Amino acid sequence: MLEAIIISGIITGLIYALIALGFTLVYGISGIVNLTHGAFFVVGAYLYGILLNHIPKLIPQDLAYLTPTFAIVFSILLTGIIGSAFYRITLHQLLGEEVSILIASICACIVFHQIIFIAMGSLYAFSFTISPLVRGTIMIINTDVLTGKAVAALISLTSFIILGLYISRTKTGRAMKALSQDLEAAMLMGVSTEKLFMFTAGLSAGIGSLGGILYASTVTYGTASHMWMLGLALSFTVVVLGGLGSIKGSIFGGLILGFTQEAVMRIIPGAGVLQDSIPFIVVILALLIRPKGLFGKRIEME
Amino acid sequence: MLTDTIIRYVKKVYTNFATHVYDVPPRMLALLILIIIANLPFMGIPTHRLGIFTTANLIAILAVSWDLLVGRTGQISLGHALFYGVGAYATALLYKYLHWPWWTTIPLSIIAGVGVALIIGIPCLRFKGPYLALVTMAFPLAVVGFFYYYRDIFRGETGLSVKPIFAPPIVSYSQKPIANYYLSLALLTISSIIIYKVATSKTGIVFVSILDDELGSKACGINTTKYKLLSFAISGLFGSLAGAFAAHLTGSANPRYFIEKTALIPTEYSLIPIIATILGGIGTIYGPIVGTYLYYTLNNYVFEYVITGIDKPTRILFFMAIIIFLIVKWPRGIARTIVEKLEDLQEPREVEEILKEKAKSEETS
Repeated sequence: MLEAIIISGIITGLIYALIALGFTLVYGISGIVNLTHGAFFVVGAYLYGILLNHIPKLIPQDLAYLTPTFAIVFSILLTGIIGSAFYRITLHQLLGEEVSILIASICACIVFHQIIFIAMGSLYAFSFTISPLVRGTIMIINTDVLTGKAVAALISLTSFIILGLYISRTKTGRAMKALSQDLEAAMLMGVSTEKLFMFTAGLSAGIGSLGGILYASTVTYGTASHMWMLGLALSFTVVVLGGLGSIKGSIFGGLILGFTQEAVMRIIPGAGVLQDSIPFIVVILALLIRPKGLFGKRIEME
Repeated sequence: MLTDTIIRYVKKVYTNFATHVYDVPPRMLALLILIIIANLPFMGIPTHRLGIFTTANLIAILAVSWDLLVGRTGQISLGHALFYGVGAYATALLYKYLHWPWWTTIPLSIIAGVGVALIIGIPCLRFKGPYLALVTMAFPLAVVGFFYYYRDIFRGETGLSVKPIFAPPIVSYSQKPIANYYLSLALLTISSIIIYKVATSKTGIVFVSILDDELGSKACGINTTKYKLLSFAISGLFGSLAGAFAAHLTGSANPRYFIEKTALIPTEYSLIPIIATILGGIGTIYGPIVGTYLYYTLNNYVFEYVITGIDKPTRILFFMAIIIFLIVKWPRGIARTIVEKLEDLQEPREVEEILKEKAKSEETS
């Protein structure tokens, strides 16, 4: 029992951490709470599902095994472009108006919800199943784990490492770090805030879509157009647990949430209806102990 | 040429008007809006459609109470539907299990609302900025899970049924929507006047000082904890009042008062008051009311009767896009922008002129 909780908690937690990563990145760098993240969670999953059906027609037969990779890459790129463009059109004009940004981004979530609904038709809008990345199950320390889920957790871990390296090693990454530390000083050093904010918004949308793809491919019911609420709920729980704007915090927050959810689902009978409420109960209880999350700061990189 | 003449004429009329009535814009605007709203049933709206505006009135109360908490005190709350739902469920539970009449259950549910506001207000004192926004957003979502879990008491998805206030023995069936409408309008008027009085009183000024500079007001010897809790309590009072009456006027209390989960239409009661307040102008009392009416007219009338022939998802898509456009275009709110424009039109007057007028009025009296 305990082993099962730990193993599945780590795997679920890593996926949750990736979902929240984009959210925390945007807050850390541009200081806005961009709730559009929930929409890109769903948009990414849908784009992946659609591309998965269409890419095999476009590429040669002997490259068919690369289909999921192409689909993931293209959906991340597309979502990133959409996210960046959306940020520039609306949220960038509202910088400094906290509540207006919150509301404009929630409205944007509803807009994307309706676009998906219109594009997919009512049948696929309520449930769009996505085949797992890899089929089958494997045994990890006496626990049956779906291979697709384990692979998803690995992808999540890899993307954390890549992002960490990107921010600490490249010029753009260091500019982002500088922006998060001191906006005015970074501007004086010649960092273009507008371009970098746009880039961050795009990056966060891309990461959010990757999270959506991983989440949708590991659950049986796939994705649905109203799932932006779930994506948002998960990401903000993780982020608030770990501390807004901290990348390290989002990993810990994700793991805490993953463990709690698995433990509650396995220990309390009939807790299925509570599944959506668990994150919120966890976040309220945890914040009573630490009101700023575990690592509550602007962005920090190891 | 023509527009110039019109603008000049409006300016002239307005300056004449403004010189005679001191402090015109907010009060006259409020009176004008009240007159227009009160005449809605006679403006060719079918009686069975009045329900929308009854809801609009109740949501306007919620929006005004949200505005007191967020626009005046600066405590960002994204979960105001909690109070609405608590009010509705408290009155419904009392009716269902104890069979008490509405005039006893509604005051009790208001007390419950204030209690809940204090209970969530105390932990919320520790949070600031985005943390507060995210945590308050979590409260209704966390509560609604228990409503599904204890299905026997709360009846899950369908919710509890409540006896309507205006049933056939008191008011005939065809007159019921009109009675509901005027009751909700009276509630809105009374609540907004009370909130206006609170906001312009000494307490209200303290609230604004917390919004402007919390540390500074602490340094001035203000007990910010007490005032923040007071703001939560007042906000919870009016929120639960709106919820309790909503349960009695619509005849049921269900989880949709907290959150709409799989909805096609985002009738989220946390969201609508906020959208309305942002549209109307945050930190004013008239703004949320104007915004709520704008929201409901746009959502229900323009898209159902004026622009017909489009399906629901497209309608919501355009509606939300328009709202985003309005927010981006006027981040300070529509009603507030209009009021400020009107104030700008007013020509500055010389001190001598004012003194002359005063002397004249003294002579006549």
